[in-house]
Amino acid sequence: MSALKQVCARLISLFRRAALDREFDEEAQSHLDLAVEDYVRRGTPEAEARRLARIQFGAVEASKDAHRDSRGLPWLEDCLYDLRFALRQLRRDRVFTLTAIVTLALALGLNVTVFAVMNTMLFRGYPLVQRNDRLVYIQEQYPSGTCCITYLDFEDWRAQAHSFEGMAFVGEKNISLSYGEGRSTDATAFTVSTNVFGLLGVKPALGRDFVPADEASGAEPVVILNHRFWASQFGGRPDVIGTSVLVNKAPAIVIGVMPEGFDFPTQFDVWMPYIRGAEVDRRAPEMFQAVGRLRDGASLQEARAELETINHRLETAYPATNRGVVPKMGTYSQANIGPDAPVIYGSLWMAAWFVLLIACANLANLTVARTVGRWRDFSIRMALGAGWGRMMRQIFVESLTLTSVAGVLGWWIAKWGVRAWAVETASIYQILDYTLDSGTLAYLVAISLAAAILFSLAPMGKVLQIGVNSALKSDTPGVTPGPRGKHLAAVLVAGQMALAIVLLSGAGVLVRSLMNVVSANTGVGNPENVLVGLLSFPSEKYPSPAATLGYIDRFEAKLRAIPGIGDESVASILPVGNVLGLTFEIEGRPNAPDGGEAVQFLRVGPDYFRVVEAPASSGRDFNDGDRIATLPVAIVNQSFAAKYWPREQPLGKRLRYIDRNKPAEWLTVVGVVPNIMQGDPTRRQFKPLVYQPFRQAPTRLGVNFLLRTRVPPEQVAQAVRLDIQKLDPDVILKKFSTLKASFGFDPDRMDRAHSEMGKYAAVAPIFAVMAVLLAAVGLYAVIAHSVRQRTKEIGVRMAIGAAAEDIRRMVLRAGMLPVAIGMILGLAASFAVNRILQSQLVGVSPYDPVTMAGAPVVLILVALLACQIPARRAMSVDPAVTLRHD
Amino acid sequence: MWYCNMSRITPDSKLDLLQGTLDLMVLQTLDVMGPLHGYGIARRIEQLSGNEVLLNQGTIYASLVRLQQRGWLAAEWGVSNNNRKAKFYSITKAGKRQMKRDKSQWERLAAVMGRVLAAAAEEGK
Repeated sequence: MSALKQVCARLISLFRRAALDREFDEEAQSHLDLAVEDYVRRGTPEAEARRLARIQFGAVEASKDAHRDSRGLPWLEDCLYDLRFALRQLRRDRVFTLTAIVTLALALGLNVTVFAVMNTMLFRGYPLVQRNDRLVYIQEQYPSGTCCITYLDFEDWRAQAHSFEGMAFVGEKNISLSYGEGRSTDATAFTVSTNVFGLLGVKPALGRDFVPADEASGAEPVVILNHRFWASQFGGRPDVIGTSVLVNKAPAIVIGVMPEGFDFPTQFDVWMPYIRGAEVDRRAPEMFQAVGRLRDGASLQEARAELETINHRLETAYPATNRGVVPKMGTYSQANIGPDAPVIYGSLWMAAWFVLLIACANLANLTVARTVGRWRDFSIRMALGAGWGRMMRQIFVESLTLTSVAGVLGWWIAKWGVRAWAVETASIYQILDYTLDSGTLAYLVAISLAAAILFSLAPMGKVLQIGVNSALKSDTPGVTPGPRGKHLAAVLVAGQMALAIVLLSGAGVLVRSLMNVVSANTGVGNPENVLVGLLSFPSEKYPSPAATLGYIDRFEAKLRAIPGIGDESVASILPVGNVLGLTFEIEGRPNAPDGGEAVQFLRVGPDYFRVVEAPASSGRDFNDGDRIATLPVAIVNQSFAAKYWPREQPLGKRLRYIDRNKPAEWLTVVGVVPNIMQGDPTRRQFKPLVYQPFRQAPTRLGVNFLLRTRVPPEQVAQAVRLDIQKLDPDVILKKFSTLKASFGFDPDRMDRAHSEMGKYAAVAPIFAVMAVLLAAVGLYAVIAHSVRQRTKEIGVRMAIGAAAEDIRRMVLRAGMLPVAIGMILGLAASFAVNRILQSQLVGVSPYDPVTMAGAPVVLILVALLACQIPARRAMSVDPAVTLRHD
Repeated sequence: MWYCNMSRITPDSKLDLLQGTLDLMVLQTLDVMGPLHGYGIARRIEQLSGNEVLLNQGTIYASLVRLQQRGWLAAEWGVSNNNRKAKFYSITKAGKRQMKRDKSQWERLAAVMGRVLAAAAEEGK
């Protein structure tokens, strides 16, 4: 207690320094007066008394100093003094200060941004959810792919698995929702088990949570609203709780609103309890996914093994439905970001550290240069008795001042950077929590401190070399840095170049890989002249495929009337897109009992192949005659024909797909078309495809249209938009763009394994560019500094006959030698580092010769440029002036 | 600010004081004498210690301000017997408690040291 009181008192005294000093002076004066009086009383003459009193008291200033030390915090006071001194120094040297702060702020900001993003991508999980790290997400893998789970399997897991505290499931459903006076909107809903919010640890912001009774069959239907949906559709009115809405025309009570920012598992509007119906008894994959909370002490591996055992049992018990069905379980990042997330975000983090190290090397070089410039200043202080420690502290306080300012700026950069990243990479399939929390702040403080220590080491080492005598004796201290000084700068430059080249070649292969994906041959001719869009039909107004087809008839008639529009067609999915494969069977070739191969079935309208400029190479195209009532037909692509009928004529053959062990009707092949890219996220191979006429197998809720334009598409885009609006304002147009633009990298269209790749390749160059720029600035600073220091030497050289060209060569050699060494080291390191990126590369080797040759060329050019400016200055040295100078 | 703190340097002729010894002397003085100004305290300690303790009278003030901050002393400006303005220090209750603790500690240490040194002297003979 007394200790705390004392610290407080000492702190307070720091701020009352002047008043306390004055009081001490008064006290000392009164002391002297009393002493004099004492002496005088004992018979000493007054003048002598004064002298004796003073001697007895001792040095007033020393006592005052001791008084200050014991009442205040001398250590803090000294630091404050250092800080004031540092600020004065930094203000004086504006160019240095600005360069240092900007460099550091960028590097720190970038590093914190990456850290925050990595934290979000790998560890955070859903916003507002408690203990995200104990949650796992489960789906099942079927022979045709991973997607869903079977409700009865879920029930078995829940009953039998011991590694879980609880397990909930989430299904997906499109509904129409009406409320108020006949206002209706299409909404997406999750049908959930009622324990889901309890499991996640999130309570509704308004109203109540689901209770188990809500999912009993025959229970009164209830819904909980997403905050966003509530705000936009219900104006954020709290009295919505307890009111009745119509869900697919059946009444349901709104019982709650979830807190703002809460989405689970993707951005949807409404949650409602899943009420088990008769359909689940078929053991068909229905549900979207399950989420489990691991019991304390249970590991992910144990839980996975347990689920696998249960599924093995199910395979034996229900071979017809469960054969080959494997549970897939993962953490948030494994399930939602993709299997390569640790590689991607880990390597980005590493790249951010490379940039920070380069920045630190710059700072080290700059501060060493400054220290050398203040050589005499330092030696004088040392001559006056300042110890090494005091000087080190002075340097460190300066470094710390710089990093503190840079850290604050870096925080803003990180805030901005994270927001930019969040906006640029937003995907409706990922709910991510990007808030910068106290952990991020602590990280920023830690790396700022680390950076300050790192770049203070070099100048501190420099100070150790200062002898009191050396500088005071020589009139121009530190004219030329000693061999060790030059050595250090060269090592730092070489290190920077090595790091820069690693980043440059890493970014290079990633960008080339992305280019391979984005510019891959899709099989579509002139996609820049095709307008595409997704029409979304409200389910209440378009309850049946027939209604949708009716709309499409009117749509086609209307659009074809727009001048400049050529062929038009519709499709269930656009080129490059991905649909889940279906198991199929060719007539006369029954599948083995453990299922057959799966291919994608696409539904397209007549003229589709003309729009994408891939006309049937044999047989016929679909036409208006292919309708529900006519012979079911199909067109296969060349890849399919080559794979399944290599030496046969495909036309006239029959095939059918098998949906949940039930075969569909036979489709007769009427045509073969050229290959179009579909369903390969990396766009490397043309997969076998089967096309069906749209009218024989219509999709109901969303239809893509494609319009080939004879004029530049932007000229007709507005007319198309208006016509769709006029035709039926309730039909919503989404993703309206050219087909070419839709080929761009879109994580929503990618599979999980590749969806992060594009973001990765897009941000990697930022790191490379920053690294190269910082390294170039560093090189420039080092060379410029050495030229400045060697002005006299250069003057002498020129005076005795060196040509300007010789001087230039000398400067360039000094600059480019460390660059060359760094480059060789960096290239060697690149071979090791790029191997890590292998999993993210499409159609390009991690040791891609173009990149490996290009990166050094870029670096050499930039380095030459950085050396050129100081070289110029060196060449313009006037020997007469420098020699006369002092 | 670059000079070393001179007041910390003690010439060899004076006793090197253990940390807190001067503080204890001040507390003891005030306890016995009642409220006293800095000069009075310094004089008293000089007289009792035979000039062995204080480097000079000014050093007493560092100790006084430290004790005051710890709440062991109270200080007040007042007027001395012969009408001089001076700051008077008095010991507080907490100060008395502290003094007792320090005193017993010091007495124990002194006793132990005395025994050990006496024994060492015996054996050395």
